[in-house]
Amino acid sequence: MTTVDTAPIRRKSFKKMITDSRAIQLVILLIGVLILWAIISAVIERPDRYLPSPLTTLFSSVDLLQKGVLTSFYADTLTRLVIGSILGIGLGIPFGLLLGLNRNIADMFYPLMNFFQSVSGIAIFPVIVIWFGNSNTTVMIVILYTAFFPIAFNVLSGVRSVPMRYISAARTLGATRFQIVKDVLLPGAMPSVAIGSRLSIGFAWRAVIAGEMLAGQAGLGNMIFAGQELDNTAQIILGMMLIGLTWIMLDHYLLRPLESDTIERWGLVQR
Amino acid sequence: MATEAKLIVQGLAHHYPDEYTGESVHALQDINLQIHENEFVAIVGPSGCGKTTFLNIIAGLLPYREGRAMVDGVEIRGPGPDRGVVFQEHAILPWRTVNRNIGHGLELRRVPKQERERRVQEYVDLVGLSGFEDRYPHELSGGMKQRVAVARTLCADPVIMLMDEPFAAVDAQTRITLQDELNRVVMATKKTILFITHSVEEAAFLGDRCIVFSRRPGKVKAEIKIDIPREERLWKDMVNNTRFTEARDEILRLVRSEVTNDDDG
Repeated sequence: MTTVDTAPIRRKSFKKMITDSRAIQLVILLIGVLILWAIISAVIERPDRYLPSPLTTLFSSVDLLQKGVLTSFYADTLTRLVIGSILGIGLGIPFGLLLGLNRNIADMFYPLMNFFQSVSGIAIFPVIVIWFGNSNTTVMIVILYTAFFPIAFNVLSGVRSVPMRYISAARTLGATRFQIVKDVLLPGAMPSVAIGSRLSIGFAWRAVIAGEMLAGQAGLGNMIFAGQELDNTAQIILGMMLIGLTWIMLDHYLLRPLESDTIERWGLVQR
Repeated sequence: MATEAKLIVQGLAHHYPDEYTGESVHALQDINLQIHENEFVAIVGPSGCGKTTFLNIIAGLLPYREGRAMVDGVEIRGPGPDRGVVFQEHAILPWRTVNRNIGHGLELRRVPKQERERRVQEYVDLVGLSGFEDRYPHELSGGMKQRVAVARTLCADPVIMLMDEPFAAVDAQTRITLQDELNRVVMATKKTILFITHSVEEAAFLGDRCIVFSRRPGKVKAEIKIDIPREERLWKDMVNNTRFTEARDEILRLVRSEVTNDDDG
């Protein structure tokens, strides 16, 4: 009798524990993916060529770690991403803001910015190679270009979309032009700054990998590319996993906290 | 005693080009009025009569070329902290807490932090927002947001407070409470107020004087004095107050005659 009575309660609390904890959910999901991966790898022919098992991939990473190439490739790639993103966003925000300050200038430049933010870094890659060759400079220019336009375009349209009544209110309180920029336009454009930063860093991350592959510069992208030539599929999968995991970390420890402390706290976006 | 009026408007007129047709629209015509210290003047009129245009001109948000408008003897040229504005809705900044919204005017003027905090607390208490100082606007009800807007304007200590249908967007129950509260605040601060509304009841309840605008082009059609001491102005007593009901009915008659002349109001 007692077991019958307590069973539903215990089951409910267990279910609640799972649904409440994001960490537990993530672990369960990860284990599921690993099991599925291991099963597929076990049943196919020539798994080393088509899909090496999780364990093989792990061994391959230990091997690459011992040789010291994994850390050096990863560091190269991350350095390019960080420098490219910081430069792109650091230049893009003031540029977008400057254009956005005057409604006429903003309207004039809007189509041009809209044009460039749609032409991806990969699309301009060939011409940059013609100009600068297969060099690190080429990769950095493509990353910078990729990071610059999404943020600049979003800040421009964000400044334009700040409601006129906020500006009027600040003016009637005696705000100077500079104070309006600082207290109204910049915080008002924050939702766009957040979206723009996310796009910029996300696109830059793809540009780094693609750029390294195409220009043959040392890094994760090159490691993946080399994996195909060396017939080392484990190396390819390892590179893919590092790319994805890096983004999840960036999102969790940098982008999400930035958003929840600003635009979500102010009620400008709902989540 | 011939004290100079706080706000003097002489022969003010306004034209603007229509957004679509480009034709010149005659919004205001030969407006003459004065508002004295500690006087509460309500402007009422049919929608589209130019009353908000008038307020925007006084606020300095809209440039004017015809006629004169002066605050404390100084010609109005652009916005300034001597004319605080309470807008219809959603004009407090979402990224500032209640405290920082109310103290914004002082912050812009670089009033020292200690002095600022003291003044802010005074106005937080005055409008009954104690305990909500650190909340963000999206966490407040519509009525509380407008209390913040009123406190923000008063805290900057303007010569005249301009209010543009400040209670039009809140529900009827909240509106009554806010109107009662505004009376209390006016008594406490002795502010000079220009109040725009389309509600006849509101104008009669709040105004020492009520100015009726004609439909476009807006001009002063009539002026009604409402001689009720502010201490007696409480909604629970007003229904039986003949001075209030008579003034209200008179204003209503004047506004109705404007509306019925033009069906699209």
